[in-house]
This record gives sequence, C-alpha cells and structure tokens, in this order.
Amino acid sequence: MIAHFDLDAFYAAVAQLDDPSLRGRPIAVSGDHRRSVVLTASYEARPFGVRSAMPLYKARQACSELVVVPPTFTRYRELSRACFAIFESGSIAVEGLSLDEAFVEFDAEEFKEAVEYARRMRERIRTEIGLTASAGVAMQKMVAKIACDDGKPDGLKWVPPGTEAAYLAPLPVGRLWGVGPKTQQRLAAERIETIGQLAELSDERILRLFGRWGRELRELARGHDDRKVESDRETRSVSSETTFEYDVADPGDLRRTLHELSADVAQRLAAQQLRGTMIGIKIKREDFTTVGRQTTVAEPTADLETIVAAALLCLDRADLEGRAVRLLGVRVASLVEYPTSQLSIFG
Amino acid sequence: MKFTCSTKDIAAAVGAASKIVNAHSTVPILSNVLLTSTDDAIRVRATDLEVTLEHVFPGEVSEPGSVTVPARLFSGYLGNLPPGLMELNGTPTRATVKCERSNYDFHALPPDEYPPLPSTQKGTTFAIDAKRFREGINATIFAASGEEARGAVLMGTLLEVAGDQFTMVATDGYRLAKWQTTLSRPLEDEGTIKYIVPSRALAEAARNLGGAETVEISALGPAGNQLAFAAQHTSIVVRLVDGQYPNYGQVIPAQFDRSVTVNTSALIAGLRRAELVAGDRASMVKISVANQQLIITANSDTTGNAYEELEVEQTGDDLTIAFNARYLVEILNHVDAPQIKMEFLGPLSPAAIRPSDESEGVRQMYVLMPLRQ
Repeated sequence: MIAHFDLDAFYAAVAQLDDPSLRGRPIAVSGDHRRSVVLTASYEARPFGVRSAMPLYKARQACSELVVVPPTFTRYRELSRACFAIFESGSIAVEGLSLDEAFVEFDAEEFKEAVEYARRMRERIRTEIGLTASAGVAMQKMVAKIACDDGKPDGLKWVPPGTEAAYLAPLPVGRLWGVGPKTQQRLAAERIETIGQLAELSDERILRLFGRWGRELRELARGHDDRKVESDRETRSVSSETTFEYDVADPGDLRRTLHELSADVAQRLAAQQLRGTMIGIKIKREDFTTVGRQTTVAEPTADLETIVAAALLCLDRADLEGRAVRLLGVRVASLVEYPTSQLSIFG
Repeated sequence: MKFTCSTKDIAAAVGAASKIVNAHSTVPILSNVLLTSTDDAIRVRATDLEVTLEHVFPGEVSEPGSVTVPARLFSGYLGNLPPGLMELNGTPTRATVKCERSNYDFHALPPDEYPPLPSTQKGTTFAIDAKRFREGINATIFAASGEEARGAVLMGTLLEVAGDQFTMVATDGYRLAKWQTTLSRPLEDEGTIKYIVPSRALAEAARNLGGAETVEISALGPAGNQLAFAAQHTSIVVRLVDGQYPNYGQVIPAQFDRSVTVNTSALIAGLRRAELVAGDRASMVKISVANQQLIITANSDTTGNAYEELEVEQTGDDLTIAFNARYLVEILNHVDAPQIKMEFLGPLSPAAIRPSDESEGVRQMYVLMPLRQ
C-alpha cells in the first residue's frame, strides 16, 4: 500500500512558517531580478492567477499585494529532512521525488490501516514541523499521486483496492502519467478525453494509435500500475533479512538470528559511516502475514549491542505466541552520517 | 613409541602447540598434536595448515615412534601434573601416561594421518637477534588489519630484507607501523626480498622464539611460499600471503613542516581521559598545538567536554588536527621511549609519530591518518 505525500506550497509555506507576518498574505517565492520566475506561490496568491514558473513581473501585475520572498534552500532541506524522517518511521520504503514530494510504502495488513498511517504522518507534519502535507493512498503509485493532487491543499484522499478504474474513469486523460500535450492532442483527435475512455479502447485501436506503448498506457488508465516504490534507502536505512528454510518458532533460534542480522546491519552501518536512531524488525509469519515493530534510541547508533537489544525488544513486542516465522529482518533507519570520518592512508 | 621426560618440559611444549590448534576444525586430526620420539629428543607439533609449530625437548627415548593426542585435553592434563618425570607409551590408537601414581589412557588417532611437515628445502636464509625480532613484531603487528573483509594482505605484516636492512611494516589503511633494524650479517646478492606473513604467525613467533639467541628465517619449498622461523628448540613454519603489499614508501611523507616533542606517558594519560568523553563520537579527540602547548579536547552531547593541556616543544606553525584517540593511544603504547615526536603537515595529512631519541640499532615510526571533522 502506497501513499503519495506532497507538502502544500512548500517554499511559500516555509516562508510563512518562519515569518508569521506573512501568514494569510499572497506571497511568491522568487529571486528578485527582472527576469525571475515564481518558484512557488502561496495558496493566498493563487486566486489572483499567480502560478509557479510565471515571470515575476507578470505575477506582480496579477496581484498588486504580492509579497516576494527569496528562496532559502538550506532551510528547505532542513525541513524536508524532518518530513522524510517522519515518512521513514513506520514505513517500509520511501522514494523521494523532490524536497517536498515522496512515495511512502506501508506494511499494512488492511487498506484502512494504511490510510490511518498516512493520516498520522500528516498530523505529525502539522504538529511537529508546522507544515501541511496532502496525501493520497492507493495500491499503486500513480493512483496515489492522482488522489493526492485531488486532495490538495491539506487533504487526504484514498482509493480502496478494486475502485481504481472507477476513480480514474471521469478524469481527463492528461492526468495520466506519460500523457503529455502531444499524446493528449492525438487522443483528442480520436475524441478520447477521459481516462475511462482510454481504458475501454480495443487492442486493435490502441495498437494502431500508439503501438505497444499504448497497451501500457491503457493498463495505467485501468488503474494497473505495478511500479514499486524505489526506496532511496542506500542512505536512509540499512537492513538485513533472511527467509528460513523451515518455519522457525523457537524463541532461541529467533533471537540468535536477530543477533546475526543485527551484526550484519551494524557492520554495514560502520562501513558506510552511518548511524541511525530507528531500529525495527520485520517478521513474516507462517501464514505470510507480515508484522513490523520498531523502536527509537536517543543517540544515533551503529553499535551492535544497542541494535540487538532494540531488535530483541521489538521481537518481544511482536507477540508471536509461539507462532512460526518464515522471514526475519532487522532495519536501522533515520540515519545520520558519522560526525567524523577516518581518513585512509591509501586514499 | 615410548619415552620418559620431565612433566614441565612436555607441558610447556604441548601448551604452546595447543595454541596453534584451531578449536573449530572439522578435521579431527587437526585438533591433535603430534608427538614424535627420535634418538633422545621428543618433538611436539601442531598445525592449522597455515601455521605449523614444532617444539623439541629432551627425554629418554626407549622406543622411537609417533602418537597423536587431542591438543586441548592433553595440554590441560599435563598442566595439572606435579613437577617430576612421566612416561608416555604410544600406539596408533592410544597414548598411555604414567606419572607417579596416576595412570591415564588417551584416545589417539593414527600418526600417519597427520599432515606432513611443509617442505624442508631451504631457500634464502638470514638470521636476526631473537630479542630484537620480538621487539619488531610487538612494535608492528598491532597495526595490521583484523578485518577479513579487507583481505589477507593487510592482515599480514611485511618483512623486507635488503642487504643488512631488515624492515617490518604493518598497516590497516588508517595507521601504519614501520620498524627497521640492521642485520649483523647482510644478505648479499639477493636484492630486496619481501614476505607478507600472516600477523598471527608472527604473534606465535614472538611468544615462542623470544627466549632464544637468534632466529633463523628461511624461505621454504620450491616456490618459496613458506617461511620458517627457527630457534634453538622451536620452529614455526607459515604459509605466506600471496599478493602485493601496498607501496608504503609512497604514502609516508618525506618531510613534515611542524612538530611537537612531548612526554609519552603524559600524552597517553591525557588521551585516555579525553577518549572517555569522546567515546560515542568515533573516539574523536582534537589536538591543538600553539604557544609551546598541546591541548587535547573532546566533547559529546551525552557525556560532556574534555580539556587537557600539556607543555611541549613545538617547531613550525600552529595546528589543530583530529584523531581517533584509540588509534593514537595504541601507537603511543608501542613506542618504548619517554619522549615522542609527532610531526605534521596539516589537519588532513598523515602525521608521523616516533621516539624523540632513537634507541640504538632500531628505527621505529608510525603514520596515523587524522579524522575529517
């Protein structure tokens, strides 16, 4: 289950967060040169027609009260990292698209559970950081993103499994991934304006129009999108897991395995000079259901004993009640780089 | 086979040999030591197929032959015998020991299954003072890598002979130890000879050969891929590491532009205290040199701040540089001198550490890479 998160008018919202006098006023984040363009417009500026990528002079013409603030990228990165840390905790993968946009994959047994996770993340972003994020929850990336856009600003929309095609059907084809102005023109010439119409095209017609690529497009239109959340976790988490040859129920065996997996994780953290504060385990039970448990430590760590202790704590919390386990994994996330690095003699 | 010997002699020999034995070997015979009686000497041998140790001690042999017994068990037993004489009677399947009024039977394995000694065909041979050699081993091998993942070459220690110069080098890529002495008899017409020796074999050599006067070091076998260290009663044969040792000469700066001379034990004590505070930050301590003073600082959000001030003899510009305190202390612990000299080029360049006054006949130096903050 996947959520797409998008921080609402991120640059502008950061300016309003840091300077309360800007709240409620139409602002544009932009350089202040004659040829500058608007990077982000606050929601207050949008009714005036102020949009991203609009030349600044035009924006000023459109909205005489427009307050122009310069971008502060260090601050954006800082707040973006804080938001990503929230995405990281309680998810199994995070794919950042930009500073203010990410796909987050949840490990939930039921869809409504994933919606609840997304709701909580939005809440944390609001209370802990002071920004608003819109989110869309679905089984597929594209549907999640479209739902997120539909919910903007400050909204949460979800598309339960099985309802994707119906949700997409009335939307204009331009909302589909991969449908740019040219494709849209060709579709318009065939009188295809909604995603639903595209979804119903016959094999023959779709092939004639777009060749093989057309089929993929039609699959998307039907709400079929098997693209995975490509975790950029090389730097965001380090994990190690193992699938047992036989299901294992013995607590001693499970503890030993957690120890080995933790050792692997600790070693890799050290090798990459990383430390993390979130330590979690993943368990796939004999009936293939998956549970995750996690805990956080105060100081970023790569220390084996700390990781093992946390992993064992998570195992206790998983309440296996003697049920057998197929797969066990250990993960350390919310990573920070070592404050120092040992230089090497041989470069 | 049958012999009589002193319980002390055999306990020492088997005790040393049992340290070579790999406790986790899956080949049963490799858990055993081989005892061989010939003429009037008894030999005890153990091997893990990489390192072989053989110890000879005197005894009265009434029947030449061999027996193999489990190393740990036998060593434990011998260590608990009273001083005196014992008699050992060996067959392919059994070793019987009589000592005073105790009588023990140990299960044995057939001695002909024991791995044969590596080739005894000697190649290049040179000799070194045993005590010196042990000093060299102690001064270098600690700096070798302990991580198998980084490869056998860095886990080894380089032995280099050129004429009368004998050099040992060990490095894990972060620090480097170099120790050099002059051989009393130069090795002629051989150019520069290099051996990469597994560091643990050198640790065994230091432990077992230090009591002798000289150690003879010879290449063994037609390919010269084994090295033998032989002293009066003990010899160690080791399989050399195959590979190219990093060109250490290239990474040691030829010149430094600033230095401090400082009391070794005061520096060690200061670093140890500071390291306690630095503990959770990769043991990072900062060393600042200015106004003939060396200041050690460390800090951590969880533990607090450390500040240590030492009087030093400073030459050249001021400097602030960060080190892993553990590495630095380990190096200082191996410099046997009341004063050390640290030399620098800059905060991100290798630093050199050496005794401020060189002891006779030995040149010792260490290179340590700093931490980038």
